[in-house]
Amino acid sequence: MAELWQVLTDNWPEFSSGFWVTVRLVAVSFVIAIVVGTAVAALRIAPWKPLKWVGGVFVEIFRNTPLLVLLIIAYAGLRRAGLALDAWVAGTACLGLYTAAYVAEALRSGVFAVGKGQIDASLSLGLDYPRTMRYIILPQAVRTVIPHLGSLTIAMIKNSAIVGVSLLGLPDLLHQARLVNSRTFATHETFLWAAVGYLILTLLATVAVRKLETRYAIHR
Amino acid sequence: MGYLFDPANWEWVTTENNLRFLLEGFLVNLEIALIAIVFSLIFGLLLALLRLSPLRPLSIAAGVWVDVWRNLPLIFIILYLALALPAPWKEFYESNVPEFFPEALQSGRVFAGILGLVLYNSAVLAEIMRAGILSLDRGQGEAAASLGLTYPQQLRYVILPQGLRRMVPATVSQLITLNKDTTLVSIIAIQEVMRHGRILSSGFGVFTGSDVQTPLLQVFIFIGALFVIVNYALSRLSRRLEIRERKRTTGGTPGPISGLEDQTALVAEASR
Repeated sequence: MAELWQVLTDNWPEFSSGFWVTVRLVAVSFVIAIVVGTAVAALRIAPWKPLKWVGGVFVEIFRNTPLLVLLIIAYAGLRRAGLALDAWVAGTACLGLYTAAYVAEALRSGVFAVGKGQIDASLSLGLDYPRTMRYIILPQAVRTVIPHLGSLTIAMIKNSAIVGVSLLGLPDLLHQARLVNSRTFATHETFLWAAVGYLILTLLATVAVRKLETRYAIHR
Repeated sequence: MGYLFDPANWEWVTTENNLRFLLEGFLVNLEIALIAIVFSLIFGLLLALLRLSPLRPLSIAAGVWVDVWRNLPLIFIILYLALALPAPWKEFYESNVPEFFPEALQSGRVFAGILGLVLYNSAVLAEIMRAGILSLDRGQGEAAASLGLTYPQQLRYVILPQGLRRMVPATVSQLITLNKDTTLVSIIAIQEVMRHGRILSSGFGVFTGSDVQTPLLQVFIFIGALFVIVNYALSRLSRRLEIRERKRTTGGTPGPISGLEDQTALVAEASR
């Protein structure tokens, strides 16, 4: 038992810096995922076929390729092609775009859940397409997809560990845990503390989503 | 840009030996995925039933188990198991693995990889299945009970067939994720497609001409394409099955479904 605490206190700098790297990685990727995801969802539901097609191809490629493959392409692969991306840029871009494909699908099904009748009603009242989206569809769609976005955020927290393991320049929680383990050989203790770190993050995300859900619930 | 579009680099990926090497690696991924899928479905259902069990301690224990495993990163679980799994377990696997398994699956490390995949995915699938069963109207179980069916019979003939069917789309999308996640076992040095890609694209410069860099980018774009093809086909297949099922049970007019899958696209596709 004493050793359990000692592993944490002795290696506190590693654990805490790794924790914050994971938090930063997830935060930046989250912004990318939401922005790109919204844009792709807009393409997916655009009233023009070629745009729909572009959105669809983006979603199918990024949703069906393993994150690890994306990371190698963006980091080592593009380096060979003469485009050397920083580990942070490559990591957040991959995690962000990978999640963006799921965000786009969630938003799209949210928009469809609002119902075509509302779009028709809004257009017949004289609002143009962008305004219909802005004032009628999106406020409702976003509410219905909050739980879905929450589980995507939790998935992103978990996927951030893949980024940390595969890119050298990104010492996240799992990366630091491996480092501590190779130094102390206290495998169970080290990984237990890292697990606590990840569970804190996923638990916080779960609670935050539940709060948002009740706050923005549509009372009918 | 010259590097990316140089036809020689692409040709190099698809020369017979290289292509075979990559596809052999990919086959190992599919085999790992298949084994993990079978066990994850079995244990997932078991965990879901335990969670729904009327015995409080049992359902709480199952709930904690599921919540812990599904909230940890899969790569974390795999790395931990590879380091911490007792040696006798690995030896047990090595001496009991069927002989017809390919060489890459004979190593004890594979056990850590598959165990990690099953621990994580059975927890996720248990949640999906539980949601499916809970979404059923209570009356279904009550009606079955009043007809004199025992609890196992209710599950077997009334609750599970309906509850699980509803969750087919969500389950398939999780299995697609599992298929992608098989690449993570490359981290613990299992010889699958990522490792094969690495081997192909490093250090063969001598054979391809001294100042030609091996086409790492092309190799991994190719590997990515393999996954896109298989996973896209899987998702199309699940959608087809879903539509057929819906037509059969509702007489041609697919109604709204409660699931993660995109509802309207289903309806549109069915009426095409």
